[in-house]
Amino acid sequence: MARIRLQSVGKRYPNGFSALENLSLEIEDKAFVVLLGPSGCGKSTTLNLIAGLEDVTSGALYFDEQIMNVVPAHRRDVAMVFQSYALYPHKSVYENIAFGLRMRGHPAADIDRRVKDAARRLELEALLDRRPHQLSGGQRQRVALGRALVRQPAVFLMDEPLSNLDATLRIAMRAEIKQLHQTMQTTFVYVTHDQAEALTLADQIVVMRDGVIQQIGSPEEIYDRPRNTFVASFLGNPPINYLEGMLTEEGEALCFQRGSLSLVLPHALALRLKGQAGRSVKLGLRAEEVDEHSVPRPGETLHGRVSSVLPVGSDQYLGFEAEGKLLFFRVGRDLRHREGENVALSVNVNRLQIFDSGTGDSLLWSGNGA
Amino acid sequence: MSALQGTAGLPPPRAFRAPVSRYDQTSALWLLAPMLLVLLVVAVFPVLYSFWTSLYDLKLTRPHRVPFVWFDNYLVIFQDPLFWSSVWRTASFSAVSVAAIMVIALLMALLLNEEFRGRRFLSAMLLVPWAIPYVANGLMWKWIYDSGYGALNGALFQLDFIDKYMVWLGDSHKTLPLIANAFVWKEVPLAAILLLVGLKSIPADLYSAARVDGANVWRRFAHITLPSLRPAFMLVAIYETMMAIRHFDLFFILTEGGPAEASHVLAWHVYVETFRKLSFGTGSALAYIIALVTFLLAFSLIRALGRRL
Ligand SMILES: Nc1ncnc2c1ncn2[C@@H]1O[C@H](COP(=O)(O)OP(=O)(O)O)[C@@H](O)[C@H]1O
Ligand SMILES: [Mg+2]
Repeated sequence: MARIRLQSVGKRYPNGFSALENLSLEIEDKAFVVLLGPSGCGKSTTLNLIAGLEDVTSGALYFDEQIMNVVPAHRRDVAMVFQSYALYPHKSVYENIAFGLRMRGHPAADIDRRVKDAARRLELEALLDRRPHQLSGGQRQRVALGRALVRQPAVFLMDEPLSNLDATLRIAMRAEIKQLHQTMQTTFVYVTHDQAEALTLADQIVVMRDGVIQQIGSPEEIYDRPRNTFVASFLGNPPINYLEGMLTEEGEALCFQRGSLSLVLPHALALRLKGQAGRSVKLGLRAEEVDEHSVPRPGETLHGRVSSVLPVGSDQYLGFEAEGKLLFFRVGRDLRHREGENVALSVNVNRLQIFDSGTGDSLLWSGNGA
Repeated sequence: MSALQGTAGLPPPRAFRAPVSRYDQTSALWLLAPMLLVLLVVAVFPVLYSFWTSLYDLKLTRPHRVPFVWFDNYLVIFQDPLFWSSVWRTASFSAVSVAAIMVIALLMALLLNEEFRGRRFLSAMLLVPWAIPYVANGLMWKWIYDSGYGALNGALFQLDFIDKYMVWLGDSHKTLPLIANAFVWKEVPLAAILLLVGLKSIPADLYSAARVDGANVWRRFAHITLPSLRPAFMLVAIYETMMAIRHFDLFFILTEGGPAEASHVLAWHVYVETFRKLSFGTGSALAYIIALVTFLLAFSLIRALGRRL
């Protein structure tokens, strides 16, 4: 059981590259925290610092109240699942799973019982005598999970554990991992660059970019109230659309204006943007926040031309030219618009995002009390 | 986990295979023909011819009478006590040399696998013995071991380890170890490089996983490094054993089999039979025996080490 605290942690690699600077993060005991960000943003570095595989070069790392900066990896009560699985190629599945317990001097009977429990749980019983190279990708992945969970560690770390699996298996394993977290009752820190994985698994998502935390929050918070355009762009499929424009006042109402487009912002949004009229902003419109069925009302209408229709099974993506920009929307597959058709879409104005057009920071974001 | 079994029934994708037609094989043979011809002349023919020779009592001291004696040459060899003592010397020379090469090369490779200042320079230095030809290596050690002006005598004398210059190679107890030392010095670089390649190919993640699993540095070495190096060890062991069994140059340059017969090894035995006694029949037969022994050794090493690869 452990609460993990990173206090102004920095990591500079021996070659002088500074991968993390002044990173502060608290991970509650038994939480499922996902570190999310593009490749190279420092997710693995953060995880390796927690595991003790890399040394913190500034700041402090705590497990509960104990400072861990100089505790070597083999003395920390953590288990880790690697992207490559890192199974010991010369050992059987049984010995792979047992290794951590052997190294920590558990009695043989205890090891045997725990390995068999883990094997049963992960349906590896029939494979215990095999070597890793005799297993499929999915089976290896489960051995890697087994090796970690058999130790019942205080902290469970996973570095993109599913990214080498095919799509079907990945979805199934997500559910498996989520269930694992519920039964194990320990702290999980999970690294991925896959937003869908993060949204499914996390209690808390930590969005990172270039070694800096952009936002911490529940999946809903991160998705619905992104703190800046980076976070907004990173989640959502197809990605959020942006339109540069102006905030204008029309009578009582606050509007977003761009060319012939005028969207009336609902009261809740207008309140937060009080006194911002005249400011040039970037409007964020999520791909799914248009409705092609309801009759558009004035102030909620987006006129444009359908430039492409891309069916993706259950849905279709709509390439849409409006106000001189190409936007992408996700609509139901019953929609029968053709390419080249002129269409009016109804915009869900309650879900609009407004960003500063210079910094990209959200103008709606006001910390936790949003 | 039942959802996981959904993909199990799918057939694996068929690997693409280029069609093999008769036309392809014919043209392949034509393209290989020049090389095959060269091999025939320089390898296959001498091998067969020397086997043929080993069945004759061919002595250049009486070149006009060359009776066909079936396997008599082999019988003569096996009845020669000098042959058996040279087998024993070769075996001990090889065992000691190969063991020393493996240990020293492993330490070298482990050292060069670490990052430190001057690593590149040290790697370059390591290659020097490898680049030196065997004969030059022999002459260098002849000078080092020399009883009158040798560097070994000089160094030990100045350090007060000895009070007079020694005839190192003249001491029949020291001869073989000293020659083995020169051999090891020459062979370690290649062995170290082969082991270093093996070390470099171990995924770093394995060490990370073992650290998280609670293994300290010794256990990581025992559980990851050593088993991962098994193929490289096998390669080095086989190659160096073959080199040691057949080694000739150092014995020729340093001692000519002496003093008395203290360094009379198999390769030297072949030389003496063939070129000193000019008995080409027994010489060829001996060469065949060495080849056979080398082959059997390599084979059993592959079996022994390769089983659990
Ligand atoms: N051992 C290292 N030495 C120098 N730079 C490194 C090292 N490991 C990672 N980096 C750099 O640190 C940054 C973050 O890396 P990493 O944490 O692996 O990113 P992520 O896991 O988010 O893809 C990258 O720019 C990477 O190039
Ligand atoms: Mg990574």
